[in-house]
Amino acid sequence: MVNPGYRNFKGEDWVDPTPPPSNLPHVDEIGSTSAPLKSASFFIGSLCQEYNEDFMLCKNENRDPQHCLLEGRKVTRCAIDVLQKIESKCLDEFRNHWRCLDEKNQEFGRCRVPERAYNECLFRAFGWKKVVPDSPANKPQIHERTPLTK
Amino acid sequence: MSNTSQTPSQDLPPKGGFSSIRYERQLPKRGPSGIAMFAILGGVMGYGWYRLYLGLDERRELDREKIWSRIHLTPMLIAEADRDEYRRKCAAVERERAIMKDVPGWEVGKSVYNGTRYVPDVIANVPIHQQPGFKKD
Repeated sequence: MVNPGYRNFKGEDWVDPTPPPSNLPHVDEIGSTSAPLKSASFFIGSLCQEYNEDFMLCKNENRDPQHCLLEGRKVTRCAIDVLQKIESKCLDEFRNHWRCLDEKNQEFGRCRVPERAYNECLFRAFGWKKVVPDSPANKPQIHERTPLTK
Repeated sequence: MSNTSQTPSQDLPPKGGFSSIRYERQLPKRGPSGIAMFAILGGVMGYGWYRLYLGLDERRELDREKIWSRIHLTPMLIAEADRDEYRRKCAAVERERAIMKDVPGWEVGKSVYNGTRYVPDVIANVPIHQQPGFKKD
């Protein structure tokens, strides 16, 4: 399926195969699609919070990509680490959840059943808890509520 | 006083008076009273508003969850894009150096602006060997 305006657009024309400068330390890219990232996002956010905030403060200083390469490498390594930890202990639950997200338009609210098993597995394995920041404290979190509609 | 024994016949009300006339409308009482209907209506609407509140609350929290999941991923995505942009920029500077090596006084990679603020390239850095019309020697 090609978008109408891009029928004759050759994506490979824009690929630059030049490797990065050799003075930079190597870092693996995440190489994940959006659904696994979204599935792991709250754990990436809570576990890599210091790296992420450091990176965003650095970007606030200067938008030049060269300025924050060091902080960016830390952010990526931390995210890769979280994903590898999740896959080491809860691979099946993780897969069920992100495949559900892929099918259900990436809406968390429609994937609560696999998400519950996934969160429980992560809590048992690592003690990680999904917390939505700034949510009202006197009510249960949205992923622990009973949905109003199916 | 003497000839009054024969009472003249006169049209008079019957003894004990007329029976009362039914002039009021007399309909059977049906259905709940007005206050009860107002109360029922208010109850239905109140329940509806309560359900509406629950729905709005759930939707707000779902939106909050979605937004925060994107916020958590943003630094990682920016970092990845920055590395790629820096790599392409370095490659473009190297191409510029190779092209302009014969021009004396040419400063490679110099910004077109007078200032230190970072401005992204408005023209895509296309590798020259992949530009349309490029012929291999």
